[in-house]
Amino acid sequence: MKLYLALTIASLKMYFRNRQALFWALFFPLLIMLIFGFMNFDGFSSPDVGVYDAAENDASRSLIDSLRGSDGAQVLAVSVGSREEVMNELKFGETRAAIIIPENFGVPGEFAELQVTYDERYAQERVVISTVIGQVTDALFKEAAQVPSEYRVENSIGISESFIEGQGQGFKGWLIPGIAAMAIMQTGLFTVVFTLVRFKSQGVLRRLKATPIGASHFLAGQLTTKAIVVVLQTYVLVIVGALVLGVTVGGGRLAMWFDLTILALLGGALFIAIGLAVSGWAKNEETAAPVANIISMPMMFLSGVFFPLSIMPEWVTRWSQYLPLTYLADGMRAITVEGAAITTLGSELLGLAVWIAIAFVIATRMFRWE
Amino acid sequence: MTTVDPVIVAKELRKQYEDITAVDGISFEVRRGEVFGMLGPNGAGKTTTIEILEGMRDADSGQAIINGINVKDDPTAVKAIIGVQLQQNAFFDNLKLAEIVDLYARLYKAKIDPVEILSRVGLENRKNARYAHLSGGQKQRLSIAVALVNDPVVLFLDEPTTGLDPQARRQVWALVNKISENGATIMLTTHYMEEAEELCDRVAVIEDGQIIALDTPDNLIDQLLETGFKPEKRVREATLDDVFLNLTGRDLRD
Repeated sequence: MKLYLALTIASLKMYFRNRQALFWALFFPLLIMLIFGFMNFDGFSSPDVGVYDAAENDASRSLIDSLRGSDGAQVLAVSVGSREEVMNELKFGETRAAIIIPENFGVPGEFAELQVTYDERYAQERVVISTVIGQVTDALFKEAAQVPSEYRVENSIGISESFIEGQGQGFKGWLIPGIAAMAIMQTGLFTVVFTLVRFKSQGVLRRLKATPIGASHFLAGQLTTKAIVVVLQTYVLVIVGALVLGVTVGGGRLAMWFDLTILALLGGALFIAIGLAVSGWAKNEETAAPVANIISMPMMFLSGVFFPLSIMPEWVTRWSQYLPLTYLADGMRAITVEGAAITTLGSELLGLAVWIAIAFVIATRMFRWE
Repeated sequence: MTTVDPVIVAKELRKQYEDITAVDGISFEVRRGEVFGMLGPNGAGKTTTIEILEGMRDADSGQAIINGINVKDDPTAVKAIIGVQLQQNAFFDNLKLAEIVDLYARLYKAKIDPVEILSRVGLENRKNARYAHLSGGQKQRLSIAVALVNDPVVLFLDEPTTGLDPQARRQVWALVNKISENGATIMLTTHYMEEAEELCDRVAVIEDGQIIALDTPDNLIDQLLETGFKPEKRVREATLDDVFLNLTGRDLRD
């Protein structure tokens, strides 16, 4: 035990003195997360707006058409639904605003008030939506000026604005757990592959084998180090992501950190085992690097790290949902942004467990000391 | 540690790799306190023989006995009492020398002062240097320091000066002589004859996995001269090695 501790401390020293490894494990994923996070891909598409039309008359339908925009240039992504549906969509972050058209909208001589509720977290979208509503109602007035007075709606539309805080986390909320999962994969796979393959090709492992203790204790210390790094790295990414990108994590559950640690360790075990298999097989860095890349690159793009799998064609998602990183990213996402407890993650845990078992069997069969 | 004499016994060692017989019936004994050299060209079977004795490789047949322990029966016990410098020996790039020595002492469950061990090989003032920053000669001296952490009964040095410049080589020779004067038993391999002549009490010349001569360096030379051998070149009082050292100085450049 004392020896194991000494070996772990020694390999922690080796790890933290290796600036290159630190860069890839910490700064690189952090950089990617912040760059993509600040790019704000949410802003690329038209803001989603839910509309409940209580009036269901020509005037209200014309209003909805105007909100959608014409000639194929979509202004707002409008979906029409019941009052509950519209408010729920807003609450769970699927839309940015809910517009309720009152029953008396367009009824001559009556004052109708549009009730617009915004998700207060999206100030930019709020500006866009309220500008569009303003322009559309203005246009309605102008149109009204040219129709006989009994049909005018002039001066009889008011807009009331209110705010709620939605729960969804948007793209940033998607990105943070995705990047944290990707970083676990990169650390597990690449740092294990590169350190072990180098130790192997330089003869460090052979010298260890010449000691009475052998090299397996050393390997245990090395793997413990990687597990510690994986957990620390996950904390850093989630904390910095939450603070800098302004995403609420864990829904305020303090136990989230415990769940996150367990999940990070499971993910770490999985990718460390894959790393062991690759480094056991490869004779030197030149053969190990491409193999590690072939394993990690497709997962980086097909496991829903940066974007939801729903934007992928169905023939891709049909099998990419079974990738190791997909299970890990989904699990991380459930725990960090959806506020789920680890005990509720049935399919993700099962998927990870199966992959861990497969990877360890391959690793023990593939591993060679020299 | 009580030592059994002879410390090393090799009996009819054989080792076959696919289609090459690397070691083909090698037998010899090394007495306590002796410096025993194994000479031969590359691929003669030196490293395979030494690795069988170190417990790093299994012989196909024959016996290897270190200090009374059969290597095949208990390689761990043998590894615990020997000091090893492998031919391709490397340590952790990002650890300091004192940390490396300390780590290896733990692997041998030995209680030592890392700085004292480093001072034996003249590296005490480099104790905080990282392994990656050492010169070739310093790396070689460090690997000898690491081989000394468990106060070994036998020290195995596999080509300790290959790839070193003449100054560094002489430094290693002085070190080996010092360790030997303190009573250690040393077995080394080399393909430099002047190194064997400088360091070894007895040498075994090995070719194609067999020992073709085994005696003291002086006796081997005398036997050759008795056959009426004359060197092709006139023997001079100095060698080019001496010229080089005289010009560049004997001090180490690290």
